[in-house]
Amino acid sequence: MLATVAQAIVNGLLIGGIYALVSIGVTLIFGVVKIVNFAQGEFVMIGMYISFFLATRFGIDPLASLAVSMPVLFVVGILLQHFLIRRVLALGDMPQIFLTFALSLLLINVALLLFTANYRTVQTPYTEMAIHLGPLYVAVGKLIAFVVAMVLSAVLWVFLHATDLGKAMRAAAQNRDVAMLMGINPDRVFCVAVGVALALAGAAGSLLMPFYPAYPLVGQVFVLMAFVAVVLGTLGNVTGALIASLMMGVAESLGIQFVGADSGLIVVFLMLLLTLAFRPSGLFGGWTR
Amino acid sequence: MLGLRRWRRPWLGVLAAIALMLPLVVSKPFAIDIFIRVLLFAFIGVAWNLMGGYAKQLSLGHAAYFGLGAYTSTILQIRFGISPWIGMFAGGMVAMAASLPIGAVCFRLRGPYFAISTIATAQVLMLLFLKFRDFAWGAEGTTLPNLGNAPLMMQFDAKAAYYYIALALLAIGLAITYRIERSRMGYYLMALGEDEDAAEAIGVNVLRIKRQVYLISAFLTALAGTFYVQYIYFIDPNTAFSFNVSVEAALVSIVGGIGTLWGPVVGTVLLEATSALLQSWLGSSHGGVQLTVYSLILIAVILWRPSGLLGVLTEAYGRIAYAGPSREREGPLDG
Repeated sequence: MLATVAQAIVNGLLIGGIYALVSIGVTLIFGVVKIVNFAQGEFVMIGMYISFFLATRFGIDPLASLAVSMPVLFVVGILLQHFLIRRVLALGDMPQIFLTFALSLLLINVALLLFTANYRTVQTPYTEMAIHLGPLYVAVGKLIAFVVAMVLSAVLWVFLHATDLGKAMRAAAQNRDVAMLMGINPDRVFCVAVGVALALAGAAGSLLMPFYPAYPLVGQVFVLMAFVAVVLGTLGNVTGALIASLMMGVAESLGIQFVGADSGLIVVFLMLLLTLAFRPSGLFGGWTR
Repeated sequence: MLGLRRWRRPWLGVLAAIALMLPLVVSKPFAIDIFIRVLLFAFIGVAWNLMGGYAKQLSLGHAAYFGLGAYTSTILQIRFGISPWIGMFAGGMVAMAASLPIGAVCFRLRGPYFAISTIATAQVLMLLFLKFRDFAWGAEGTTLPNLGNAPLMMQFDAKAAYYYIALALLAIGLAITYRIERSRMGYYLMALGEDEDAAEAIGVNVLRIKRQVYLISAFLTALAGTFYVQYIYFIDPNTAFSFNVSVEAALVSIVGGIGTLWGPVVGTVLLEATSALLQSWLGSSHGGVQLTVYSLILIAVILWRPSGLLGVLTEAYGRIAYAGPSREREGPLDG
């Protein structure tokens, strides 16, 4: 029993690392640009397809293809901010919500047209490998994904706290007008924030590829998790999103273990609804960034 | 039903006459099918628009009420032999009851997070109905018993009958919206939609208004759910709580003109016509084409015409009818 619980917690933490990459991206865009990116999951999907095609056409390991997917999505993010999001920033809720929502629909359906709905998988030497730690079983692909995800989160934290651009980004997130008065160029900061967020989504895609199938709707799985994590972790709070993602991974995994294979999402959604009912500002409401 | 005494607008009479005559002139089942889809989705759009358009509470979870309406009437019919005509209203009541706790939770959030929490509620309901194997047939769903021509059980041989039901639903939806638009509640809704904090500051009980309009919107959406299962003779959680229903409800309103009486109708006609053309042009084998085009239209509308296409139409109509400068918000359609 104890071993089952421990195993479920380990599995949850490992997948929670991936959720963290997606939700940090969502919360970063929300914090800085004040937009909820409904298409964040679709950029995970694009990252997965990039890794899939690099692996099947050129035999490049999905982990190595991080070096492609992250820069490509960083550039896509800058273009997205510059050509689309920037144009709705002065408008109301409706355009702000439905622009990225429409983008999500568009990317899913274009992927459906180009790649069909088939599940694509990549076999790597470590796909089937696992480490046995006493009674626990740790899949190597997931472990690598978790470790890389945590390293990337740490790098982001250092970037936000130790570089001028990162500090400018946090300043813009706290108070856009004052940040502008201090000489921060908001357009540039916004572009970098969206670029970084999409690069993280791309990284999540590449990291998933060794053990998770790519298909057009795959992003929806991750983006729903990310939204819940971002609400739980208090909107715009990067550390909160990270902790909440790990918690949700664990909650989902325990739900699958003890309620039923198809109940992981129910547990997660109930967590969201309960949080909203009792602590609408998130678990980390009082904390500062 | 549209208030016969108030017909001062000739175009409305023409439109109603065309709508009533259409099945007599066009008898191809394929065409009637498209008309029924247009009427149904326009009706769902009208229901969504009360909530999403006037009050600007952008729900992406109206499938929750569509599904509850569909399941309530089906369960009543198959388990208890109760006519779907009664089931339809029962479904509406169930949806209204469900909207209270859902609203209580979701109204704590604003803007995008309200939208996300409504997605979550519809998903939770779908997952729950997937689990209710004994009571609601689980994932396999069920077909409705075919009783032949049984008007009392909302089953008809003629497709035209379904057409007229859908038309009546749309007329009811439009009449209710028309009434609300001109009532005290309508002004509260618009105030709330413009600026929630300001509305609250001047004494609008924002939470109560949201709750009330959500009740109406949920009720109407549930009627559509019942009608839809009666029309396709089949129900399962993926159809009843389909995310596409939530999406299309919002989409038709936004494309047509959010927060306007006729916006959802214009939007549905445009989108469904596009979709029908695409289908006849490409065949139905290309999954994804329809939504690709929908999303491109949506992006175009958001970037260039966030008030929707109805505005374009009224301006054109204004130019033709009055040969004068067009009026921005209060076009001749609702002036």
